[in-house]
Amino acid sequence: MMRTPLRPLARILEARQKGENPDVIERENRHLRHEQMRDKSRMRAEGRLLVLGVMFFCAFGVIGARMGTIAASEPAEPRATATGASIVASRADIVDRRGRVLATNMDTHSLYAHPQQMIEPERTAKELARIFPDMDEADMARRFADPKKKFMWVRKKLSPEQMQEVHDIGEPGLLFGPREMRLYPNGAIASHILGGAGFGREGVHSAEVIGTAGIEKFYDESLRDPAREGAPLELALDLTVQAAAEEVLFAGMKLMNAKGAASVLMDVQTGEIVSIVSLPDFDPNDRPSPLTKGDASDSPLFNRAIQGVYELGSTFKIFTAAQAMELGLVNPNTIIDTRPPFKVGGHKIGEFANHNYGEISVAEIIIKSSNRGTGKMALAIGKARQQDFLKRLGMFEPTPAEIVEASGGKPLLPKRWTDLSAVTISYGHGISTSPLHLAAGYAAIANGGIAVKPTLLKRSGPQDGARVMSESVAAASRLMLRKVVTEGTASFGEVPGYHVGGKTGTADKPKEKGGGYYKDKVIATFATIFPAHDPKYVLVVTLDEPVETSGTKPRRTAGWTAVPVAAEMIGRIAPLLGLRPEFITGQLEGVVRISQ
Amino acid sequence: MTYLEHNIKSVPSGWRKILHLNWALVVLLCAVASMGFLMLYSVAGGSLTPWAEPQIKRFILGLVAMFVVALVPIWFWRNMAVVAYGIGLTLLVMVELFGEVGMGAQRWIDLGFMRLQPSEVMKIALVMLIAAYYDWLPIQKTSRPLWVMPPVILILLPTALVVSQPDLGTALLLMIAGGVMMFLAGVHWLYFATVIGAGFGTIWAVFQSRGTDWQLLKDYQYKRIDTFLDPSSDPLGAGYHITQAKIAMGSGGWTGRGFMQGTQSRLNFLPEKQTDFIFNTLAEEFGFVGGFSLLVLYVLILMFCTISALQNKDRFSSLLILGVGLTFFLFFAVNMSMVMGLAPVVGVPLPMVSFGGSAMLVLMLAFGLVQSAHIHRPR
Repeated sequence: MMRTPLRPLARILEARQKGENPDVIERENRHLRHEQMRDKSRMRAEGRLLVLGVMFFCAFGVIGARMGTIAASEPAEPRATATGASIVASRADIVDRRGRVLATNMDTHSLYAHPQQMIEPERTAKELARIFPDMDEADMARRFADPKKKFMWVRKKLSPEQMQEVHDIGEPGLLFGPREMRLYPNGAIASHILGGAGFGREGVHSAEVIGTAGIEKFYDESLRDPAREGAPLELALDLTVQAAAEEVLFAGMKLMNAKGAASVLMDVQTGEIVSIVSLPDFDPNDRPSPLTKGDASDSPLFNRAIQGVYELGSTFKIFTAAQAMELGLVNPNTIIDTRPPFKVGGHKIGEFANHNYGEISVAEIIIKSSNRGTGKMALAIGKARQQDFLKRLGMFEPTPAEIVEASGGKPLLPKRWTDLSAVTISYGHGISTSPLHLAAGYAAIANGGIAVKPTLLKRSGPQDGARVMSESVAAASRLMLRKVVTEGTASFGEVPGYHVGGKTGTADKPKEKGGGYYKDKVIATFATIFPAHDPKYVLVVTLDEPVETSGTKPRRTAGWTAVPVAAEMIGRIAPLLGLRPEFITGQLEGVVRISQ
Repeated sequence: MTYLEHNIKSVPSGWRKILHLNWALVVLLCAVASMGFLMLYSVAGGSLTPWAEPQIKRFILGLVAMFVVALVPIWFWRNMAVVAYGIGLTLLVMVELFGEVGMGAQRWIDLGFMRLQPSEVMKIALVMLIAAYYDWLPIQKTSRPLWVMPPVILILLPTALVVSQPDLGTALLLMIAGGVMMFLAGVHWLYFATVIGAGFGTIWAVFQSRGTDWQLLKDYQYKRIDTFLDPSSDPLGAGYHITQAKIAMGSGGWTGRGFMQGTQSRLNFLPEKQTDFIFNTLAEEFGFVGGFSLLVLYVLILMFCTISALQNKDRFSSLLILGVGLTFFLFFAVNMSMVMGLAPVVGVPLPMVSFGGSAMLVLMLAFGLVQSAHIHRPR
């Protein structure tokens, strides 16, 4: 602002000369200056107000726009993601190879109480005790009446009927929370494979369902993964075959007075486990608690087919014979002297019931099941090569079956592999494996010499495992197995319409406390392949402590126990597997064709 | 002797003052409050108790208080600014010493007939004092560093007390309101640029230092900041409010579900449904139309304040009116952004609508001041 100073005397004089009052001029001047200053500050204030106004306007715009976008949005419940979200996502189903449900989820409700909000705690306790007979009414009433108690669980799962009854009590302090629970619609079928599921982290509005055993636990992460979008887990199991196998095995176990039984049915090309049974079993919907005392392997939770390792006896002889043939040491017609005495490391090797088979061919050794004959072949093979062969068949490691319990089924091997070990192992003693190991070994013979890894998951094609023996050796071995059934120890194994090959094995059970073997407790095993000329499946049936009592004295050998059970099973399941029965035409006499 | 006192003769006196009230503003306030009553009636499940009735009573009390304040000349209130600030400060210290703890923070003083939130009183007292200060300060001194210091101290003192309650949201609002008042009073813009720059610099440094050796905060503190800034990362925990609020608003759509038909709010999904999150009930029941109408009402109130401030040649009056309007604006802007997920959740109520005694009374008193300034403006 231009300031025009009046005070210099010249100016005042000048003003006076013009007849003006300098005081008035000065006051006028000052007034103008003040006016100007005020106007300036006002201008600035208005400018700033404008800035602020623009900001206000932007804020309104943003809020209004946001209001519009939210109003236009779909009011969808947010899909929970990342952290803290897994509790919301539902667990994927488990289905069999044909898509039939083995495990699924069911919506149910939990029951909890807010005792502080209760109107009639005593009547409520009484009514609840009526609905749930296992509840203690007095205890319930006491807890409901506790003034400090704000929250308590009453029941984790309710049936719809129970829920309605609780609802009818009309007590506002009783509240329901939604629950998703795991349901196994087929009950005990395949219970050892499915395992079980329980609640993990638990809140009022939801609870996490987590796998606690079996394949549920093995694939827990994957089944819970929301990215899976509910795609079911497809197992190799066939529900129908599994059900039939369980039925037959259960009947066989009862008939043979066995305390336990196991069976494995495996596709020889793909390694898929089509059926696997362990008895006794349990209902995964109501999983029993593990045994607190006694032998865990007697618990129904124990999976005898995968977890249990047993000396499977003479069923191993075919591996010795196959390896000896593969190495060129023998052919099926090579004659071996099986007469006593045969001593290894100071131990006499005996035969079943002290038989003496004389000088017989390799094929006959298998058919008659000669320990001394197999032992001599094992000595010719040697310890190192024997170990290598068994290792390649997967006998040294737990099976890769996709259940958490599989890692418990680790084979028991001799600490030092002596010549004696080599001989006893050649006929299946001194090595303990699971029935599933045995099935995998037989699959290699059945499929023409390729080692397969057993799997519980559905596969699309054969496995390209390592070759463990040549096609011709495998074929020769299969011929021997067939002959075991037609003219050897497994004569009860014949199934009308199906050619079955296999090898029996009866092993005395070792005493739990060590120090030798029981004389009257055996593990009877029958490992079979069918159809024998072009095997599709391998079936292993194992009975724990069977005894067949129809004769004059109790019979325990596999030929009398495991074999008939296996034959019955094949007769039942082969048609279910889509195998066509083959009859010799002559047997169809008397059948009249009624169509042209 | 201010310009205003020179012009005292042209100012209406006696009961004639009532004619010179800004009646439009009164009507707007009543309209906003009525929306609040409706919503409180609805969230209580169609019942006057426990919220709507006390709220109506308090509004009537507030209305009377507003008229009384409006009839008292504005220069009296200007002289009372220091007293008001002193009372506010005393109350804040008192609440610190023997206040009632609610929701994990010490915020209330029980006066017997109502529970007073001193931070609410402080909002208006601060505006009054800063307006009075700049009215008293010769204009040419406005930007001198020495004369910038007093208002800064006046702002920081209550802010620090509020932070210790702890009520971060209100503290921030106090600081912003005070700062904008200074800006309006004409303090040189370089001061603001420096403060804002330093603020952003600090935030930048804090985030930059994350994961390096010279990390300024602890890991868990960063985690808290993360959840604070992005509640949707934890939809069942910290983000629960926002998630449910958004569902409520989304389900309202354009025209809403209808009065008393809101499920989210009436079925107790919404937390704090009668206070901070009442806007969601409105949006759910009356949709975009209802929500936007409320926004328009607020904007109109703000416009009337601004026009009144521009007409007023008295520096104290115009600053005061703008300050009150600004406080009002900050309240509803922050609250609406918060419930729509634009801003983090800080406990700020929706002015005149949310259930709450002190906020409503204090705002009515503040609008009484605005009316007084309007009536007693120099002509």
